[in-house]
Amino acid sequence: MSVSESYGGEGADGSAREPASRLPEELRALGRSLDAAGPGVSESMVERVLEQILAERVPVPVAEPRGSGARLRAARRWARVRWRALTATLCGLLAVLTLTPPVRAAVLDWFDFGGVEVRYDPSAVPSPGAEVPGCGRSVSLAQAERRAGFEPLVPAALGVPDVVTVTAEPRGRSLVSLCWRERGDTIRLDEYPARLDIGFAKSVREQPEWLSLSGDSSDLGGVNDTALWFPRPHLLSFWLVDAEGSHYTRARRTAGPTLLWMHGSGVLDMPDVTLRLEGVASKGRAVEIANSLGEPSDAGAEKSSK
Amino acid sequence: MCHGWEPIRSGRCTNPVRTREGGRIVDETAVIARVRAGEPEAYAELVRAHTGIALRAAAALGAGADAEDVVQQAFVKAYCALGRFKEGSAFKPWFLSIVANETRNTVRTAARQRTLAGREAALVEAEPLIPESSDPAVAAVRIERRAALESALEKLSEEHRLVVTYRYLLEMDESETAQALGWPRGTVKSRLNRALRKLGKLLPDFEPREGGDERE
Repeated sequence: MSVSESYGGEGADGSAREPASRLPEELRALGRSLDAAGPGVSESMVERVLEQILAERVPVPVAEPRGSGARLRAARRWARVRWRALTATLCGLLAVLTLTPPVRAAVLDWFDFGGVEVRYDPSAVPSPGAEVPGCGRSVSLAQAERRAGFEPLVPAALGVPDVVTVTAEPRGRSLVSLCWRERGDTIRLDEYPARLDIGFAKSVREQPEWLSLSGDSSDLGGVNDTALWFPRPHLLSFWLVDAEGSHYTRARRTAGPTLLWMHGSGVLDMPDVTLRLEGVASKGRAVEIANSLGEPSDAGAEKSSK
Repeated sequence: MCHGWEPIRSGRCTNPVRTREGGRIVDETAVIARVRAGEPEAYAELVRAHTGIALRAAAALGAGADAEDVVQQAFVKAYCALGRFKEGSAFKPWFLSIVANETRNTVRTAARQRTLAGREAALVEAEPLIPESSDPAVAAVRIERRAALESALEKLSEEHRLVVTYRYLLEMDESETAQALGWPRGTVKSRLNRALRKLGKLLPDFEPREGGDERE
């Protein structure tokens, strides 16, 4: 059979014994052909593994003395008893280590309460030409407030929205979306009555840019100062966490340049609102819009906090 | 305000110790020590370096479509067990034995079909690796040859298949193979020889042409 063609060496001397020596090479080639292609594979594995370690609160693997059963058990017991502290350390280290320094201060501030995960999947290539989805059928701002349970924040820089919608979210919460049409394009502002925190932020394709929404309260260095700017189209998923701290995941579509930030209600028993602004390509304008938000209602709170 | 170092970027860029197959960390011991000291970012380095070979191992051992899940579980188990990892020994064989265990547990039930399906999938995926310019007849021969090789592997005993897989498909040396399988090196050597001989006989092109080949 022509199969023998692939064994060109057969004509050489020692042909009677040699064929088997090709076998290891063939087996190695077979092994290599099983490899999953793509450099992104190991990055997404890193994320999957670290995420599971965090989610399952796996304690730090403390080196155990070998052969000493009692001590080994004691160490396990120690780890079991202290898993909370260990996990906290683990989470804290992870967050601090994976974030860039300008972010660290913010993370330390944010870390105390539940939150958002901005997570990059290297294999998650955004689809080209994705458009900002419109808001759909409108309700009035007053209706939106009744349904959502919080007053939708309207940035003065954009004026009255063309469309206002309310979407039900898990745990009985609501997402308010405001849309504006501007020269044929849609600007969309999503608002969630939840607070941001960063449990795990990681950049594989591109690091988001951390901004400080300046303004009068910038000297406070507080949470409400900080915003994330995603300059390029991306796939993004957030974990929003409620007061009880139970996570839920949200699948996200391809999103264009996006600004993500929080806005404090300034009132103790009112939840902070997380906002994401999409459809504004200029960072400067996005920040401007963010800063034009709810200024009147903020003023009183700022004074009282000083 | 944007002063100072950037852990993510510098960590990634100054990590120069990648080999062709997804990598090896120069100072594994130091990395493991860091993980044990409560630095999970260090574990990311181990994961990054061993994902490629682990996926290959899971695929070779029959995990099929579950390979990624199997490897993920293996990494988490290895993390939990890292406290018991013998300092100074190699991480890869130790870890691949966990992958093998995990694969066995996962596929035990529907092992046969899964294996076949997985290998079929691997075959299909492997096809584009053959340069388009090459003669289709040659390509067909290679694919046939591959299938023959795989079915011959299937016919080996478990021990023989394992030793061939570790030593060749996963490209480990003899001592790594011995460590991963928990066998003495001599056993690895002799079983490997026997396995290769059997494999040779099972393959159409390797009809025993040498005379007087002893049984086992």
